Amino acid sequence: MARYILIRFLWMIPTFLGITLISFLIIHMAPGDPAELMAGGGLGAGSGVGLSTENRAAVDQAVVQWREQFGLDRPLHEQYFVWLGHLFTLEFGESFKDHQPVWNKMAERLPITILLNVLSILLIYLVAIPLGIYSATHPYTAMDRLTTVGAFILFSLPTFWVAILAIVFLGGGDFLAVFPPGGLHATAYSESWPWLRRAADLGLHLFLPVLIMSYGGFAELSRFMRGSLLEVLTQNYILTARAKGLTERVVIYKHALRNSLVPMVTILAGILPALIGGSVIIETIFSIPGIGQLGFQAVLARDYPVIMAVFTMGAFVTLVSILLSDFLLTLVDPRISFGRRSAS
Amino acid sequence: MKSLRITVSLLAFACLALAGCSKSEPTAPAVTGAASGPPVTGDWLVRHMLSDPEQLNPITSNDAGASSVLSYLFETLLDRNPVTLELRPLLAAALPEISADHTTYTFRLREGARFSDGKPVTAEDVLFSIKAIKCQQVNAPFVRVYYQSITDAVLLDDQTIRFTASEPYFKNEDMLGGISILPRHYYDPEGHLNGVSVRQLADDDPAVRERAAAFAETFNRDFFRNPVGSGPYVFNEWKTGEKVVLDRNPDYWGYAFPEIESPYVDRMLFRIINNPDSALVTLKGGDLDMLGLDPLQHLRQTSGARFEENFAKIRYYSPGYTYLGWNNDHPIFGDPRVRRAMTMLTDRAGMVKSILHDLGTVINGPIYKFRPEYDDTIQPYPFDPDGAAKLLAEAGWKDTDGDGLLDKEIDGRRTPLSFEIKTNSGNDVRKRVALAVQDSMQRHGIEVKIREVDWTIFLDEVKNRRFDAIILGWAMGVTEPDGYQIWHSSQIENRGSNHIAFRNSRVDAILEAYRGEFDPQKRTAMYREFQRILHEEQPYTFLFMGESVVAYHKRFENVEALPIGGVVPTRWWVPKERQRYVTETPAP
Repeated sequence: MARYILIRFLWMIPTFLGITLISFLIIHMAPGDPAELMAGGGLGAGSGVGLSTENRAAVDQAVVQWREQFGLDRPLHEQYFVWLGHLFTLEFGESFKDHQPVWNKMAERLPITILLNVLSILLIYLVAIPLGIYSATHPYTAMDRLTTVGAFILFSLPTFWVAILAIVFLGGGDFLAVFPPGGLHATAYSESWPWLRRAADLGLHLFLPVLIMSYGGFAELSRFMRGSLLEVLTQNYILTARAKGLTERVVIYKHALRNSLVPMVTILAGILPALIGGSVIIETIFSIPGIGQLGFQAVLARDYPVIMAVFTMGAFVTLVSILLSDFLLTLVDPRISFGRRSAS
Repeated sequence: MKSLRITVSLLAFACLALAGCSKSEPTAPAVTGAASGPPVTGDWLVRHMLSDPEQLNPITSNDAGASSVLSYLFETLLDRNPVTLELRPLLAAALPEISADHTTYTFRLREGARFSDGKPVTAEDVLFSIKAIKCQQVNAPFVRVYYQSITDAVLLDDQTIRFTASEPYFKNEDMLGGISILPRHYYDPEGHLNGVSVRQLADDDPAVRERAAAFAETFNRDFFRNPVGSGPYVFNEWKTGEKVVLDRNPDYWGYAFPEIESPYVDRMLFRIINNPDSALVTLKGGDLDMLGLDPLQHLRQTSGARFEENFAKIRYYSPGYTYLGWNNDHPIFGDPRVRRAMTMLTDRAGMVKSILHDLGTVINGPIYKFRPEYDDTIQPYPFDPDGAAKLLAEAGWKDTDGDGLLDKEIDGRRTPLSFEIKTNSGNDVRKRVALAVQDSMQRHGIEVKIREVDWTIFLDEVKNRRFDAIILGWAMGVTEPDGYQIWHSSQIENRGSNHIAFRNSRVDAILEAYRGEFDPQKRTAMYREFQRILHEEQPYTFLFMGESVVAYHKRFENVEALPIGGVVPTRWWVPKERQRYVTETPAP
């Protein structure tokens, strides 16, 4: 077991390096030069301030200096190895924009992204599992079909579109004023508010983002749950349990459900990366200061150190969650064992 | 995405150009009809910001978001009357004394000006501020460029500082007057720059390099979120991705001076909302008091009784213009008659109507409409295809082979009148302008191709003059114009800003004499001639200047748009009975 985990872990390293290399190449080769962006596009201030030729040269010189300072004048492979070297000491460098350590910028925003994702996963599981159970226990009924179709309609609705619709129709513009249209706190928010009021304010602000981030996951998970439970229900031991005269309730919730929950664990690994991607969109549309928003703004500004840090973190979380779900699988289902495969 | 990038960079530059007028309250408040009683303090102004400012160090920051915040926190020696655009003293006691050869500028500071921590503003602080700009290791290369001709600054006494410029230039006064003044005791507590001269910093003297580096290290890093200045507002907090909060300083020094108009609103709260759609919903929901609208929001989403019950809109010109530039070195466009014909084939009034939705006006030259230098006797060429055809015929362009395209023998070869317009991708207005031009030209025997290129690549092609025609824009200063950089023939080579290669010896002579002319009346006369030459030559087809629209909550009084290109929230106030927010005083 330990050996299997170790081997899996070692295999993660080349995968991880591959991801960072490809990300690095893509963002550095994408059009857009951070130095020129800093220089205001390099076309000067119009007729407002007259630059002489000497000053024109100075702008170019400033751009060159700036590139040197951040090592952007070196060949791409060299830049990559410098970046990689820093990564081994967990050093992501400084943001181009404000010269703050990238770590600080991420640390500031990480809690809110984690909160958003944890709430989202909870909501997905809380909705999808009962939905799946219902469908499995009432297969091919009208309700089963209805919930399935409903879940798939949700699955097909693009989140950015739904988010905008929700803001326009529920955010208090020309239509209903049910939820705030974005942000984390009310305008008059103050740290001196009582605990309950602050929590309620946060909850109200997070409701739409969490809901919209989650609804796409309902379909996948509930279908899995349905399929898995239906399969278990055909097993002989279920027949035995029924034959013993156990109530349907005990058969399903005590005997069948446990075994059918196994695949649910593995799906976690699939949902997490999608949520990270989704939080970029949701955070940007709802103006939530999380990691996704940071990454999006860094891409617009070609703030390479920040972009790389966000990508790297995303890759790391994804890889770890895949590993984790494999590991969990061996825990919940004793029949699955990777470690002694050769011995059997 | 790309258009955003360009807007931001243009804005950033506009702000640099506007550095001299960062604080802009006029001395005499204009009276508006609805105002009831004298202005009172109180209430908050909650306004929109699209993304976090990069940082709040006025020397090293380089973006538009930051400059709108910084303008309430920091002050300059001089500022501008937003109506007349004239320079007037702010932290200085008077306009500077300028030596006869126009190379030294002596500023005397106003007695009584204080930073928000209570310490007086002295000439030492002014000296420190120019040192911080000139210090090569400080991360402000794009600001430093503007002060390159300032070679030295010395203190004459506690309240007086003298700057030396390397050459006479009428804009030096404006540039020196526009330096944000930082408290030395706060930004250089260790005194790294004490005893280091401006000249040494400018020359990057090895003797002071170590001290300069020590200063720059802390200055670049430690002051990005904790600004202290002398302005009417003090920094309260900045929550990343949420808000930046500034509070009115009740002890602002300006209250003691009747000629310094001080603000009324107790709190300026910049709410950071990344998405224009949510920003508009937030405004309508009452959680924003002021928001810049895009043309479609203005046209379709902000009207009706419900909106007008709480909100009003105000329009103003954004200093800057869009143009269609002709490569004057191109065999087709070398002839001014052809360029004039091109202008007459461009329906500019139609573009303002259909592309800008009437949020703009046709322009006919590079000078801001509200400047005294602007020559309003020049009539823009009308949209006149027949006149254009005559001009083209005069210049030798006729359809000789009957293929529907005009042609002409150039260097022994029959050349059809066909060219390509390049512009940057992602800018919808520019793309639609290109399509309108293409359509109009095609009807009159001219073939036009359109190519959109990514911004940085486009920039490179523009600088290297690899184009027939381009659509591009310039941010305009509202201060005294200086067209040297764009129109002088010395700026053609070396990737200069005269990228269309306009050559005119009379214009060169005017531009050179203009820079050393200190009499504003004479400068105006020179620039009127300059505009008439440009009108004849049509090196660009000047297209239009856009208008911005701002929606604001009606509880505010004294809201007006200024020719300087904006609104001045420091003049806004709310009658007591309509005030909405109260600043909670922190528990002792």
